[in-house]
Amino acid sequence: MSNKSATATAEKAEPDQQPVVSRPSDLLTKEERFEMWMQLYLARYFDVRLIKEKKRGRLRGTLYSSHNQEAIIVGSLFGLKPTDWISPIHRDMPAFFMKDIRSGWENNDRIGMSVEEVCAQVWGKVDSPGRARDNWSHIGSRSKRIIHSTSMLAGTIPVAAGVAYADRLNGGDSVVITYNGEGSTAQGIFHEAINYAAVHKLPVVTIVENNQWAYGTPVELECPTPDVADRAKGFGIPGLVADGQDVFDVYDKVMQAVNHARSGSGPSIVECKTFRAYGHGDHDDDRAARYRPEDEVVQGRGRDPIAVCRQRLLELGDIGSDFAEKWVAEGKSASEATNEDFPEKVVEYLNKGIDFAVASALPPAEEGGMWVFYEGGSK
Amino acid sequence: MSATVDAPAILKKNYLTALKEAIDEEMLRNPDMICQGEDIGLLGGAFGVTDGLQAKYGNKRVVDMPISEAAIIGSAVGMALNGKTVMAEMQFIDFISCGFDQIVNMMATYHYRTAGEVNMPVVVRGPAGAYGGGALYHSQMNEAWFCNSPGLKVVCPSTPYDAKGLLKASLRDGNPVIFFEIKELYRRRELEEELPSEDYIVPLGKAAIRREGTDVTFVSYGQNVYHCLAAADELAKQGVHAEVIDIRTLVPLDEETIYNSIAKTNRVIVVNEAPMTCGFAGEIVARITTNAFDLLDAPPVRITRLDTPVPWVKPLELYVLPSVEKLVNAALQTVRY
Ligand SMILES: Cc1ncc(C[n+]2csc(CCOP(=O)(O)OP(=O)(O)O)c2C)c(N)n1
Ligand SMILES: [Mg+2]
Repeated sequence: MSNKSATATAEKAEPDQQPVVSRPSDLLTKEERFEMWMQLYLARYFDVRLIKEKKRGRLRGTLYSSHNQEAIIVGSLFGLKPTDWISPIHRDMPAFFMKDIRSGWENNDRIGMSVEEVCAQVWGKVDSPGRARDNWSHIGSRSKRIIHSTSMLAGTIPVAAGVAYADRLNGGDSVVITYNGEGSTAQGIFHEAINYAAVHKLPVVTIVENNQWAYGTPVELECPTPDVADRAKGFGIPGLVADGQDVFDVYDKVMQAVNHARSGSGPSIVECKTFRAYGHGDHDDDRAARYRPEDEVVQGRGRDPIAVCRQRLLELGDIGSDFAEKWVAEGKSASEATNEDFPEKVVEYLNKGIDFAVASALPPAEEGGMWVFYEGGSK
Repeated sequence: MSATVDAPAILKKNYLTALKEAIDEEMLRNPDMICQGEDIGLLGGAFGVTDGLQAKYGNKRVVDMPISEAAIIGSAVGMALNGKTVMAEMQFIDFISCGFDQIVNMMATYHYRTAGEVNMPVVVRGPAGAYGGGALYHSQMNEAWFCNSPGLKVVCPSTPYDAKGLLKASLRDGNPVIFFEIKELYRRRELEEELPSEDYIVPLGKAAIRREGTDVTFVSYGQNVYHCLAAADELAKQGVHAEVIDIRTLVPLDEETIYNSIAKTNRVIVVNEAPMTCGFAGEIVARITTNAFDLLDAPPVRITRLDTPVPWVKPLELYVLPSVEKLVNAALQTVRY
């Protein structure tokens, strides 16, 4: 299987020769599958809407789009226990408010951030979980079990391993999911941390979102193996490959790794093959159109996860043909998409988050000098 | 029977034993504490600081780590995030550079960037310092890197009493601490001293006056404190009375004790093993010139390593490092200024 091609994965994944006993996704109910589809829309709308807000001049800072990669976020989060930990990065902004969203979009007690908090972070307001001290995805929450992300690529994998170690020592059964780009797998700490996790059989699942590009560098200049998941061989752990455009395949592979981890068998790498639809960040959209071959981009955007999921729901009879032309967000850029392309519930949900963020205040200036040292003493 | 049978034996302990006791007592006191590092369990540590701890507390709490300094520190951060206190050993403090990013970007900033939600009770400790022929990569004093990273406390004891008390205070502080142990002092006989049998700490941010004097103040830490004391002996023979201050912790720094001394002596020499440029001696001098300028009768002086790595063989090593001779000369010049 080629490192480059997300479509190649799909071809291989489709007609599975071996008799499939049971995939975790086979056990999903019709309602759950529909919910996953709605969550794909929610993640996409977050992206589309923020880009619109930025174009209107209402936002500062760079946006790192997860457009076309939403199936990885939704598929990986859907099967987790609320008490599991996650460690998202710049490309996974929706993950912060979609952790445990299964337990109810409006459930304020769920173990995930609210969309209001995440929007407050994007807007740089005091109601951000990190009181807007660092930008974009650099937030987290101990109580929500979201590891605070930083800029340092792959830098949170050892932290995830330490969280897992402590959890096991406490007799817990949590799993920690970390997200990384394929470029970040070239970092030394990626290897140190997974090696350590493998030695101690720690319940850490490392998801590699192989979107083929690390800023301006193609995957073959980051990773020498045919699949990035092949890196797992050096640690003696499973390296799974998922079709990152298919939310159910992501769900299956991640659940396989999660079950492996929870049972005490140790870490895994799950590579999800996908394609970065636009620039590295919104500042890079124009240049990305030049440094990436056009046919590659057209092909890479060709299997939109919303459409792949819709097709599956139609095939399974979960939705009728009246849904075939409803909410056609797929294939549309942020400027092309409108609110009518999304379920009303999704638009309303995000509107509440944005209204909250806009109304929230900037943090008081003197907070810039606070919390350098902890004053409280320890155990 | 002779009277000596009933007299309590005075058990003097060295710097290394003091450290070991600190870790052992904290492990016993705090069931949420974990030790991790290279060769610290089965072997008991390259220098034996953790000797016997794995047998006592098990291999889940005293963990032999792969040779991965960044993972040692990064995982300590994760454990702290999940409620643990961690002692992370660097086999030599020189190797801390391999975990640098996890220290300065991940650990040091955690409290700040989470607006106080999370704190990091992690002590990264390891053997440091020159004068032992350790050459370029087993002699460093790289404390300045960490003093320049807000969010870290930086500690460097010079006596067994302080080694134990400061390490215990560091393990209870709740902030990340970089703890510089002076390996040349680990087993130095003349430093052995009786340690209190009851629990004690030495608070971070309090300097110690090691010798009182009226003519010039030496400010130092770690091994150089002993060079300052030896220089003070020499100077006394020439009628110059030097005061010696051991700052003990660099961050936070006890400036008051330094200024009080200068109020008396009006002259100051700051001594450290690290290179001069951007070293901690420079920071101390800068604060003195800003805050105690009027007290000075002579320009503050720095005696540090030359701006070189630490070379191996003795003549080369001593050439680049502060020595008693260099300190005496500097003191004589400054009192004659
Ligand atoms: C240690 C480090 N080096 C460089 C950067 C700058 N940088 C930010 S994102 C990025 C590309 C990351 O590519 P990849 O890991 O594939 O993730 P993607 O952005 O494609 O999701 C780079 C080079 C950084 N943030 N951290
Ligand atoms: Mg990438």
